[in-house]
Amino acid sequence: MPQLPADEVSAFLALASRLVLLKARSLLPSLEPLPEEQGESEEELRARLLEYAIVRERAGQLGARLRAGERAFHREGGTVDLPPRGGEVDALASAWSRVLALATRERDEDIVAPGERYSVEQRTLEIEALVAAQERVSFATLLGDAPTVGFAVVTFIALLDLYRRGVIDLAQDELFADIVITRRDARSAQT
Amino acid sequence: MTKAELGRIAGGAPRAVENALAELAAAYEGTGLRLQRSGEEWQIVTAPQHAPQVAAYLGADRLRLSAASLETLSVVAYRQPVTRAEVEAIRGVNCDQTIYTLTSRRLIEERGRKESPGRPILYGTTWEFLECFGLQSLDDLPRALSPEGALVLEGAESTPSKLG
Repeated sequence: MPQLPADEVSAFLALASRLVLLKARSLLPSLEPLPEEQGESEEELRARLLEYAIVRERAGQLGARLRAGERAFHREGGTVDLPPRGGEVDALASAWSRVLALATRERDEDIVAPGERYSVEQRTLEIEALVAAQERVSFATLLGDAPTVGFAVVTFIALLDLYRRGVIDLAQDELFADIVITRRDARSAQT
Repeated sequence: MTKAELGRIAGGAPRAVENALAELAAAYEGTGLRLQRSGEEWQIVTAPQHAPQVAAYLGADRLRLSAASLETLSVVAYRQPVTRAEVEAIRGVNCDQTIYTLTSRRLIEERGRKESPGRPILYGTTWEFLECFGLQSLDDLPRALSPEGALVLEGAESTPSKLG
């Protein structure tokens, strides 16, 4: 026989005996209250049972939601503490402002000169020639003063390809700082 | 993040932040994401209707709670902040174990102490509670449907005084 929780059983017995007593009083109104009957009145008991009925109903609704399995998930890894590692909130806000400024310019340029096209292969050759001549160049220099989205994307992909091939090294001193591209020497590029 | 943090970082007034959050919530409708609010804090979560796919990807187990835990949880959710004794007064049984279970599963948490004799611990629900039950905020808690329940609500119960 499984163990019964003593607390719950005693609470049930107390409530059940109270209900039996109330019923007995309704049948035999001549019964005088005993001195030890200092518990909650019939009205209080009725109110508590009604409230408990609500609790059970709500618990059932919550249980139904749980069984439906329609839950949400937040991003894995928890909440990012502010300021972010390697930078501060102000730096993040400043970087975001610069992105917004670029985004505004891009729209204007797209209207003025639509259809501009860049080739990753061509851009890769251009950057390779540039680092061969200068050994060191910044990403901002490669983008120029007013890059379009397409030009920036092609330039970035070209850099990734050159890095993958071991032609260049990439370095960034701090978060949101400019990226510095340096040429690897021929010996290290082969290894 | 809180609205205050959002306003400070984005450089917007509280009203502008509220409008932006409302726009974002509208933009997320019909997508795989939604905004979730707990008091003054907001976070982005996955939409509950896509829970099976996200759970399969994350390998998350489905949460299971006993009837007693669900009853205790519903009292805390609807009447928070609430003490253990207040929960027990409604349920009529000792709630030590269920409070412990819900706390250890991070569905409820301590919310300070009540300024009454003995300064008992107050409990409230957590982000985890909103996520597990697919609620955008405590305003989305299911409401009692029975006529008897409506009578009790008028006299004995108020809406949660503090969301989240």
